[in-house]
Amino acid sequence: MEQMDQAYAVEQKGHLVVRRDEVGPRILFVDGGACDITGLSREKLLESEPERTVRGLEVQRLELDGCHELWVLSAASCNLDHMRELTQVNAALEEALKAAEEANQAKSRFLSSMSHDIRTPMNAIVGMTAIGLSHIDEKARVHDCLNKIQTASSHLMSLVNDVLDMSRIDSGRMTLSEEDFSLPDLIHDVAVIVRPQAAQKEQSLQLQIGGIREERLVGDPLRLRQIIVNIIGNAVKYTQAGGDIQVSFAQRPAPERGDGSYVWLDFTCRDNGIGMSEEFLGRIFLPFERVQNTTISRIEGTGLGMSIVKKLVDSMGGIISVKSREGEGSLFRVELPMAVSVQSRMEFSLPQGQTVLVAESREDQAGQVIAYLEEGGLKPVRLNSGLEAVTRLTEAQYEERMPCALLLGQELVDMPPLDLAAHVRQLAGPSFPILLVSEDDWAQIEYRAVRAGVNAFVPCPLFRSRLLEALAALTSQSERDEQDLNGQDGDYSAFRVLLVEDNELNQEIAMELLGMTGVQVEAAGDGAQAVEKFQNSLEGYYDLIFMDIQMPVMDGYEATRRIRKLPRQDAEQVWIVAMTANAFMEDVRRSREAGMNEHISKPVDVDRLMEILRGHLKPKAAED
Amino acid sequence: MQPYQEEYLVNLRQFAALSQRERPGELTCEEYAARIMDNRARTIQLGRRNMELLRTGLFPVLDDLFAASPEELRELEEFSFRLYDGRTELDVGLFCQIHQALLSLARQKRDRSAMIRELYWLGMGRNSLVSKLVGLEMSDIEEYIARMRLCFTEAAAYLKYYHEVEDTETRGYILRARANMALGQFHSPGEKVALLKKTLKILQDKYYQEKAPSLPWERFIYLTHQNMTSSIAHSREKVMTPDDMADIMESAYIVYQQRFDEAEMQGKQPPAKSAFAYYAIEYFCGLYDLETFLTKVEGLLDVADPTDYSWDGMYGMISLPAFYSQYLAQYPEKIPSRVAYVEHLYRRMLSYTDSYPGDPGEGNLFLYLRQLSLTFIETGGGVPYGEFLQRLLLRFAPEVYRHSRTVAEGVRSLCSVIMEDDPTFFDDIDFIRDICAPAEKRRTVLDYAMGCGLFHDVGKISVIELFSRTPRQWFEEEYEMARLHTLAGQILLEPRPSTSRYAPAALGHHTWYDGSRGYPSAYRRLDCPARQMVDAVGLIDWLETMTSSSRMYSDGPKSFEEAVEAAAQLEGRRFSPLLTARLRDPGVAEQVKDALKRGQEDACRRMYEDALQTMGREG
Repeated sequence: MEQMDQAYAVEQKGHLVVRRDEVGPRILFVDGGACDITGLSREKLLESEPERTVRGLEVQRLELDGCHELWVLSAASCNLDHMRELTQVNAALEEALKAAEEANQAKSRFLSSMSHDIRTPMNAIVGMTAIGLSHIDEKARVHDCLNKIQTASSHLMSLVNDVLDMSRIDSGRMTLSEEDFSLPDLIHDVAVIVRPQAAQKEQSLQLQIGGIREERLVGDPLRLRQIIVNIIGNAVKYTQAGGDIQVSFAQRPAPERGDGSYVWLDFTCRDNGIGMSEEFLGRIFLPFERVQNTTISRIEGTGLGMSIVKKLVDSMGGIISVKSREGEGSLFRVELPMAVSVQSRMEFSLPQGQTVLVAESREDQAGQVIAYLEEGGLKPVRLNSGLEAVTRLTEAQYEERMPCALLLGQELVDMPPLDLAAHVRQLAGPSFPILLVSEDDWAQIEYRAVRAGVNAFVPCPLFRSRLLEALAALTSQSERDEQDLNGQDGDYSAFRVLLVEDNELNQEIAMELLGMTGVQVEAAGDGAQAVEKFQNSLEGYYDLIFMDIQMPVMDGYEATRRIRKLPRQDAEQVWIVAMTANAFMEDVRRSREAGMNEHISKPVDVDRLMEILRGHLKPKAAED
Repeated sequence: MQPYQEEYLVNLRQFAALSQRERPGELTCEEYAARIMDNRARTIQLGRRNMELLRTGLFPVLDDLFAASPEELRELEEFSFRLYDGRTELDVGLFCQIHQALLSLARQKRDRSAMIRELYWLGMGRNSLVSKLVGLEMSDIEEYIARMRLCFTEAAAYLKYYHEVEDTETRGYILRARANMALGQFHSPGEKVALLKKTLKILQDKYYQEKAPSLPWERFIYLTHQNMTSSIAHSREKVMTPDDMADIMESAYIVYQQRFDEAEMQGKQPPAKSAFAYYAIEYFCGLYDLETFLTKVEGLLDVADPTDYSWDGMYGMISLPAFYSQYLAQYPEKIPSRVAYVEHLYRRMLSYTDSYPGDPGEGNLFLYLRQLSLTFIETGGGVPYGEFLQRLLLRFAPEVYRHSRTVAEGVRSLCSVIMEDDPTFFDDIDFIRDICAPAEKRRTVLDYAMGCGLFHDVGKISVIELFSRTPRQWFEEEYEMARLHTLAGQILLEPRPSTSRYAPAALGHHTWYDGSRGYPSAYRRLDCPARQMVDAVGLIDWLETMTSSSRMYSDGPKSFEEAVEAAAQLEGRRFSPLLTARLRDPGVAEQVKDALKRGQEDACRRMYEDALQTMGREG
């Protein structure tokens, strides 16, 4: 019985009716058994060439009339299995072929657009080089050309990088690093890259930080930055000039990943740009796809960016999602599990329970600053205007209950924050800590801010550690010695200042003020003495010279000229500050022409003196 | 006072007199020109003498202020109040310099009363300086307003310790500082109203009055009401609460109703200034619509007397049209039906100004005309704006006019040479590139060069006190303020069709060719199609200044050849090498030099003719 079953099982028959005429043999009829045995559909069989189709099968041919035959097909089970396998392979191959053809088409489209995209910056480079060469005498024009060449080169480089990245990912050659990194530093780097892009299109780009508890993480910071920059960069690209882009970073616990050694890093980027159709959303993470929109000038790029982002997020074990509506904007959300660094959370020594004035009229920014300060055990008091701040500080000074610092924010309702800083510095004296929290590039505002009396700068987006660290450095310093300004800028006791002043009382006051900072002060009573002292000192002995102008024997201009001419290396480098009541523009110019670096007016304002120490000796301290 | 202080004050008055437009008297044109140059030379001498006096007299005292005797300090204060006493202004910049030093001293000594007093006076001085910056955007002058307001705020903060202050004088300073916190512009009228409301509450509080009964409380309160009614923004779109409006109406009633009653008793019309202010506040507070308000203002304009040269008469003839224009400019849909009326008002104003019998440099004439320069509406058939500006320069800023006219000839001459060499040189400018006919293109370029030269310094009208009434070199803060003339020039020229194309020259003529220095940052050379022309104006402006005898710098004027040599040293950095290269050709340099001379002569001749026409020969 078992054998019979086997025989039954191994034998299967199928039938074809084949017509033979002058055209050649054709299949006219097919039954299900023939389909099963051949692995082909009825339609395919009817279209196929009979002899080739039955090759390898057992066929019994029965002639029906002069031109029709009945073909009885039979196959053993092993053959049948083989056929089924072949059928599946065929189907898979067909799928693969189809995918390959589609990919090929996408790649052809890609090559076609890439050739344009590469040519465009190349053309710019070639063209601007030619223009620059033809205007070689016009420095400004050449400068402009070089700037444009630099922009085009960067663009070209990013195109090439994208292609190489994709190729690396596709070939499985890309590995993620596992290194300890600072999230604030990473976000700061991102801001430095994307802010100018948004500014160029006059877009409002807001970077918000919410509830970041773990600032030191472990992962691949380079690839993480790539993900974030790519998404924000796309938002900038696909949002019209003047549009809004809101980026936020937050963290939440990842209990599913164990004992708190992991967190989820949530990054969202929302824009009100051109958005995407539902149809495109289905393809957004496929390589070589780009949104087409006529309202935005032609977008350049490889179309690989989002595909790379997706693959990077996948390989980090994260999730990326996108919501979008055409004409309304897009929202990207990336969730990444990140390991928390074993490096412990930084603790700062802050004057617990003391008041910090927060002068900031922007609600969101002020709220965050206040939350961080409260976490640090401080008592923040928020003020919206410069007038409120000055009133409060005047009262506090009178009642001898000064706050431990003034924290200046981005905006005030009545004046620019730096104008307030300048007045507060005079009102509250040199040791009062003034901290600036700003989105501005510090390099751009440093000169004005230091001149206005700002002691420290904390960049935005704002992180708890950076804020509290800066505040701790300033306030602990202030506690140590109200007049002592060493601290965050380095130890001034390593520096030597030459004070050139003929008036004894002035000399005494200045010596006392400078002495309180710890700096070593030596005095000279006139210009000639100053030159002699400098000449007889070792190279680099003096770090700074404060030079009175009107003096007997030799005035400050002449003394400076002679010092500058001395045949020693530090003669040209030593920083010389003119101190004089002669405040005409011509006097400022004359002191510069004599070789002085700076000019302060008399009576010497103690705050200005301190600013110069901070401004000039700080970098040296850092270098040392 | 010290002799140097007395001499400085005498020099200030002489300086002011010499800076006025000269009457032609019986002089010929050549003699008149010589007189102008002589006066200018004398002002320079006075300026240099003043600097010498400050260097030898004042600065050594400031140098050693900590060691100054009480007598020296008293003299210093007395001197400062002769420079500026809160009303009369002779040298506010120096006043601020002295009080800044005295404030530093007071802080150092921790002398609270002195600090409050010095903060008050420094605030007053800064307020006076800020009020000289006319017509500029709030964002451009915000820092100066903040500096002024912070001084008053710090002094006013001592109000909390009013009961501990022993002397009435210091109490008075605290209260006045509190009231003065509301001086100057604000981002929104609500801020100002809130400050004034609080001040009024303080001033009306018996607690404060009883502690200093001898203070002029009624006056303090009246002035605060007056401040409440003045400088309220003209736009009704600004956010105001009904309470704020009620307070403003209350203050307006207190300030103006009494004047109206007095006028009615005497059977006269109320003064135009009060009537307009009252109407404006009523309109602002929503009592009637714009059309009704404009009709009421037209009623005041119609009865203005063209023979009345009193302050109120001048107000009606010049200032009122300026305010009227300002409202129209804010609502341009109201202009088309009023074009003929505006043209009539401006023609009437010019004729009134031409017939002014007194010295036009005195009184409010210039202040009102300057106000009109900011709100002027240019109409097709009316007075061209450029012509109006030229008259202002000619009569109220003669030195700026002379310089501008001279520069204009110089730029024209340089452009003429350039057009010979390279007719496409200015083709980045649309309206020049579009011209095909060479002769027409050349003429257009030369006319444009002339206009750019004539108007490049027109912004000085807005900060004229710094340029023609500072009897010495500037201090650093004054120099910063003086730089605003570039932005002010752009603000004047750009909105009006007949002058808008000259705006880049006004904005950019002090920037450096390579962008490394100069001002203002708002001018981006490479983004400006007219940059080649702006470069030319910048170069010739510099050459004229270097060679002019009007330089107050002690190294004196350079010869033209020396100045060209110095410009060549700055080639590629400050100046365009394409321009300095042309000046290397001695023939071209000579041509430009002659043009500058010709420009100066032409300027003097026009000043003479205008003076003859408007001032006559008497005097």
